[in-house]
Amino acid sequence: MNNILKTVLAVNLIVITVLVFIYPQLMIAPGKLIPGHKQLDTDCFACHAPFSGVTPERCITCHKPADIGRLLTTGQPIAKPLTSPPFHQQLLSQDCVACHTDHAGVIRFMQQGRFNHALLQKATSVQCQNCHKPPTDSLHQQITGNCAQCHTQEKWVPTTFNHTKYFSLDGDHNTRCVTCHVRNDYSRYTCYGCHEHSPESIRREHIEEGIRNFDNCVACHRSASEHNIHGGDGKGEGEGEGEGGGEDED
Amino acid sequence: MTTSLWRQHILPFCLLLGLLAAATLAGDYLLHRLNLVWVGRYLGIPGTVLIIISLIYSLRKRKVIAAGNPKSLLTFHEFSAWLGSLLVLIHAGIHFNAILPWLATVSMSVNVVSGLVGKLLLGQSRRHVQGEREDLQIRGFSKFEVEQALFWDAVTLDAMTKWRKVHIPIFIVFVILALGHIISIFLFWGWV
Repeated sequence: MNNILKTVLAVNLIVITVLVFIYPQLMIAPGKLIPGHKQLDTDCFACHAPFSGVTPERCITCHKPADIGRLLTTGQPIAKPLTSPPFHQQLLSQDCVACHTDHAGVIRFMQQGRFNHALLQKATSVQCQNCHKPPTDSLHQQITGNCAQCHTQEKWVPTTFNHTKYFSLDGDHNTRCVTCHVRNDYSRYTCYGCHEHSPESIRREHIEEGIRNFDNCVACHRSASEHNIHGGDGKGEGEGEGEGGGEDED
Repeated sequence: MTTSLWRQHILPFCLLLGLLAAATLAGDYLLHRLNLVWVGRYLGIPGTVLIIISLIYSLRKRKVIAAGNPKSLLTFHEFSAWLGSLLVLIHAGIHFNAILPWLATVSMSVNVVSGLVGKLLLGQSRRHVQGEREDLQIRGFSKFEVEQALFWDAVTLDAMTKWRKVHIPIFIVFVILALGHIISIFLFWGWV
């Protein structure tokens, strides 16, 4: 390597080093900061502690946990809070970067929709509707709250509930939820919600077969098929609740 | 330039370089498709480690270490540097944020190209041009006619020889820029 080349390389590297210190936001920052932090553009150590990254202590200097979701850092009330009521006060620990990042380039690497619900206190974590809008499809419009019946806090889909395990929604049974689950109570069901099954007709058909315990239909019937009848001690005396239905097993 | 030099040496060189580019795009696409973009953030670490390991050959070549078969180490150098570069390119992810790491990426890419020139083109091209020269001389062509026939091959060879000389200086630039990037990551990122 000749001296001229060495000199050119050295000068270039020195210039680059100087630029790093003068324009850190261009030279080393992974993208622009969010608009609210624009004034911190050149002051990396306002948020970053050397060799330990962004610490909650530095965030809390400006963002008081008690005020998050209620007041701006300027003390003004938030006109349209994203969640109501605010939930940051119910977090088990203050770990801001678990959910938040300021740099445009880092947002790209964050796993979208990966909020860790375990960070929330138990009572808050079950109040899904405070943060999430319910889906607008016909199924979910019938349901209010208690999302955990079918969904986990890890993933929205796939759901944990397999209706076929209890009753296959085939044939005429592919109908509205409230037909069987009155008042959106998914812990109970009734088979008398349609014209086909009336207490009288069901009673008559079962008595003809010598079956007296026919209160919990899904104990024997798991689908619309008359030939798909499972065990069930139908010979016994009536023990159920006389509703042509019963409580779900789970 | 004769078609043989192009077909036998420059085309494979272009294909290997194109393979690196295609593998980078494919890796980036797969990470996006599988919603694993965050994985790319960490590929810089194994990539850097592979490039560092590839330097064993450089140490052997300069007799800093005595152990190891130079030919095997050269093959390993070529493979691990190519693979390490691929991981770093996927890590860069075609996202333009900070200037410093991109300068490091560009210098690394130039380094890969100069390395491939050395691997695929230079030695074989020298042999090719020498063979052509001897062939023409045997067939009774005059020295002037031989030089005239091999003019473009000689020019190409000369350009490649100069390009090869870039390998070490640009590697030094790459090391310094990459170090700057790595130090800034350690300085600002929370590892725990």
